[in-house]
Amino acid sequence: MSLTFGGSQLGTSVRGLLHNASQVYADSPGAHEWLRMHLARFDEPLRVAIAGKVKAGKSTLLNALVGEEIAPTDAGECTRVVTWYQDGPAPKVLLHPRGGPGVAPARPRQLSIHRRDGALSFDLGGTEPDRIDRLTVDWPSQSLRGTTLIDTPGIDSLSADVSARSHQFLAPSDEPTAADAVVYLMRHLHSGDVRFLESFHDRGVARATAVNTIAVLSRADEIGVGRLDALMSAKKIASRYRSDDKLRELCQTVVAVAGLLAQTGRTMRQTEFTALSELAKLARSDMDGLLLSADRFVTSDIGAESSASGTSIRTVLDSQVRAGLLDRFGLFGVRLGVTLIRQGLTDPTKLSAELVRRSGLDDLREVLNIQFTERRDLLKARSALLALDLVLRREPRPSAQPLAVQLERIMAGAHEFAELRLLTALRSGAVKLAKVDRLEAERLLGGEGGAASARLGLDPMAGPAELRGAALESLSKWRRRAESPLAGRGVADTARVVVRSCEGLLAGLPR
Amino acid sequence: MAVSGNQAAVDLVELALKATDAYDRPDLSSKLRFTRSRLADPSVRVLVVGEFKQGKSQLVNALVNASVCPVDDDIATSLPTVVKHAESPSVTLVRESESDSGEPRPAERTAVPIDQLAQYVSEAGNPGNRRQLTYAEVGIPRKILAGGLVLVDTPGVGGLGSMHGAATMGALPRADAVLLVSDAAQEYSKPELDFLQAARRLCPNVACVITKTDLYPQWRRIVELSTGHLTRNGMPAEVFPVSSTLRLHALKLKDDSVDGKALQQALMDESGYVRLIGHLQRGVLGRADDLDRRSVCQDVLAVCDQLAAGMRSELSASENPDEAAALIADLTRAKGVADELRQRSARWQVTLNDGAADLTSDIEHDLRDRMRAISREAEKSIDEGDPKDTWDQLAVWVEQQVSEAATANFVWAIERARWLAGQVADHFNGSGVESLPELNFGQGDFSSGQLRDLEQPVQEAYGIGQKLFTGLRGGYGGLVMVGLATGLAGMSLLNPLSVGAGLLFGGKTVTDELKRNKQRRQADAKVAVRRHIDDVIFQVGKDTRDMLRQVQRTLRDHFTTLAEEMHTSLSEAVASAQKAVRADESTRGGRARDLRAELDRIETLAVKARALVGDRVAAELGAGALS
Repeated sequence: MSLTFGGSQLGTSVRGLLHNASQVYADSPGAHEWLRMHLARFDEPLRVAIAGKVKAGKSTLLNALVGEEIAPTDAGECTRVVTWYQDGPAPKVLLHPRGGPGVAPARPRQLSIHRRDGALSFDLGGTEPDRIDRLTVDWPSQSLRGTTLIDTPGIDSLSADVSARSHQFLAPSDEPTAADAVVYLMRHLHSGDVRFLESFHDRGVARATAVNTIAVLSRADEIGVGRLDALMSAKKIASRYRSDDKLRELCQTVVAVAGLLAQTGRTMRQTEFTALSELAKLARSDMDGLLLSADRFVTSDIGAESSASGTSIRTVLDSQVRAGLLDRFGLFGVRLGVTLIRQGLTDPTKLSAELVRRSGLDDLREVLNIQFTERRDLLKARSALLALDLVLRREPRPSAQPLAVQLERIMAGAHEFAELRLLTALRSGAVKLAKVDRLEAERLLGGEGGAASARLGLDPMAGPAELRGAALESLSKWRRRAESPLAGRGVADTARVVVRSCEGLLAGLPR
Repeated sequence: MAVSGNQAAVDLVELALKATDAYDRPDLSSKLRFTRSRLADPSVRVLVVGEFKQGKSQLVNALVNASVCPVDDDIATSLPTVVKHAESPSVTLVRESESDSGEPRPAERTAVPIDQLAQYVSEAGNPGNRRQLTYAEVGIPRKILAGGLVLVDTPGVGGLGSMHGAATMGALPRADAVLLVSDAAQEYSKPELDFLQAARRLCPNVACVITKTDLYPQWRRIVELSTGHLTRNGMPAEVFPVSSTLRLHALKLKDDSVDGKALQQALMDESGYVRLIGHLQRGVLGRADDLDRRSVCQDVLAVCDQLAAGMRSELSASENPDEAAALIADLTRAKGVADELRQRSARWQVTLNDGAADLTSDIEHDLRDRMRAISREAEKSIDEGDPKDTWDQLAVWVEQQVSEAATANFVWAIERARWLAGQVADHFNGSGVESLPELNFGQGDFSSGQLRDLEQPVQEAYGIGQKLFTGLRGGYGGLVMVGLATGLAGMSLLNPLSVGAGLLFGGKTVTDELKRNKQRRQADAKVAVRRHIDDVIFQVGKDTRDMLRQVQRTLRDHFTTLAEEMHTSLSEAVASAQKAVRADESTRGGRARDLRAELDRIETLAVKARALVGDRVAAELGAGALS
């Protein structure tokens, strides 16, 4: 396919450029080290940071995405240090201390890992959080192979330095950020959220963009106060946010996810399924009484006298088991699980799949896949070019002049960047187009996915002939628009970029 | 309980009024009449505030057991809703407005059917308060409200800098108590604590409510953490964990069997509302009641003191004629002091006038200073970009900054005004006065804090036609100029050189025009921002000045009356003491008996006043009043 081909071509040229640069700067240790690091980063998995306000459910979502409880979670504020989760051959946690001004950071030191009930926790060994640059957790996991996930402390935290650490990591004032893309979690859109998203938007070369940010309406099950239709109404709210002009400028899309449900769905154990099945056997009125409040669910003893079978809830599930169940599922999760079992979903695997499906995690994963994984090379190239640009600006030297020219050429020439820029411009409303045209242009530019069928708005299973026809039609339509003497310059430029995308599409289709 | 306490206070004031009428002291009577009228309005306002989606409306609904405030999964409330007692359910929409000159117009009140309330107060029916209403008033017959409790449901704050935040702040000084609502999903975040800190400076009676305890198994941890944050930040406030769902569910249960009753009771207990309602009754209503009774007791004791002063001096002069001279000298000295206080040039008058003038200029300077900083920042960002693209963002930023600055300025003004009142009262220290008048901040309920929107400057469209026209105009000049010059060389007017020059000139004119347009847009945007800030300074400055003038007037009237009363009482005391000295032995004996009886009667009144507030408080008050 031409686009992926083009992507790797872009990768090759960027990689070559970085190589050249590191040779030119071989005598400057700082710059050399910096460039080497970014060259290495180019081949690493995509780095996706998970950010948001305190208690937005960042660690829970991370666990759900990985499918294991590797990030510690708690009712209180929990994550205080930026933590990287990456694929590795064996579990290992490294603590990277922070260097002082003028002092080189000490060597990373390994931490011991504790595991309790499948949940991971690590002991910082008495090091103050503000003395720590980051933790890296190596964990053998299929889900981490393609992306490194980065958990960040919440913004708007009461401890100002925790917030500051997050800001420093995601939107440092002087360097390109260490993350290639960001998933931003919010419970409701708050002015603080907007400010943060705005500051994350870097200035720099690629002048991007909403393209590497996805917003997630997290803890979606709580929005409807735990009612069974809570997720429906969360999805409705997410779609309202999606059409909000202000948010469109700041992020690609908004997805509603019930993090806890997703996490538990992916890690559900047999004992938990048994417990849910026992609950499903209770009379409906008893069940309603039990689910009235979290406290009641744990402590009450319904069924002792009223149930016909004579089994008391206490004999089947003692309150400790129920407390554990509540901890893992939440009130909404228990309600949903029991209802699903009642409806005949008696297979644990099917139930867990259904819970994950309902939680909205699948939607999120699909969006992540389309927006981030398919654009991996592009996002990586962008990060690398940002890094190079920083070096060229900080330490200008005559021998680096050709590098600057080359950088400029790639930035201006690579069609992928042109698409990215145009997408941002369209989303921010800088280019004025009729709404229908704008949506079509965004789609053709890869706003909804880079695959040919996604760009043409066709079914993924569409045959080559159909794709070809649609591509030709779009091509001629946008070409007419590009050449129309009545079109303004902005529109004509847009149309020209779209035409290029269509041509790329056509070239990539099998004959 | 609250009502009976109030009734006793009213009775006492009536009794004292009879006494002042009998002793012919109209100055004291008018003071007591004012006290009586204050007692007649028992309403106690409780503001329910918090971030959005925390369950504020549901809390109000659960308190009154009726769905008066609309609840939704998405942002619901867009308009403050005042819920108070009424014999029959009613809904009134209130629109407060100002005429162009800034004078408040009488509020427009419209009654609407009860089922239409949601259309007006919800975000869905009235997005961004498009109907320009000030607040909605709901009357509902409920026992909990009968004691004068008024609940005010406010839109979610969304940070201190937002419009709603500023409006809520503006309503705070008139509230008797505040409930800060947040849900049990998480401990307090920084914006919430910032808001709490600001709120506490405006309204001392703040309690924290943590809602939705039914949904979160870990709510006990959250309550503990939040309490910890409050203590650590030096804001010890009571925390009430509640569950509106449980209470509403319990109230819906219709099972009259023993089990059903027990379940209902258990649910009620678990909902946590018992404690919250207890707080509203005792901590809010009770405290307001206490304050009422305290001030009534103080007023009546002061009146007793004034009435007794004359008689007591006459009595002691008639009992010990030898010491009468010393007594009269003492009284005359005291009268001299009171005279001084009465003068226009009295020291307290100077303190008050100077203080008020200083205060007004300080506050105005502070406001101007804050606004200037915003204006400078805004101009800088206008210069950096083209207002055509950045205007929307800029407008939001400016409005936020402006309302934040105005709020901070307002809070500071109120604090300084309270401090000034204390300063003036210091001059009266030792003369048995420790009471401060009730200071009235702000005129409207929710109108202060609502600022005008920033107007977008009109932007001329510079289309193809105009571009063409400008280009032609410039091009024509170039063409003719070069054409004539080349004409000398024997070429025709239209030759390649002159056409090229025409195109060049035309292009340059268009670019120049575009540049000029951008500059004009920048200048327009700056003017718009400056005008907006000017407007705000004018509006907020006027509001603050009005408020301060009101405060100054209240203080002046209060203390002038006080000085007058002291003067009258002391003059009478001197006169009656002198009369007693002049009278002969037998008359003196009879007069002393009369006086003792009169004094006894007044003492009975004072005893009643003291009984109203309990012994401990009375001792505190009495120490000042009857010294």
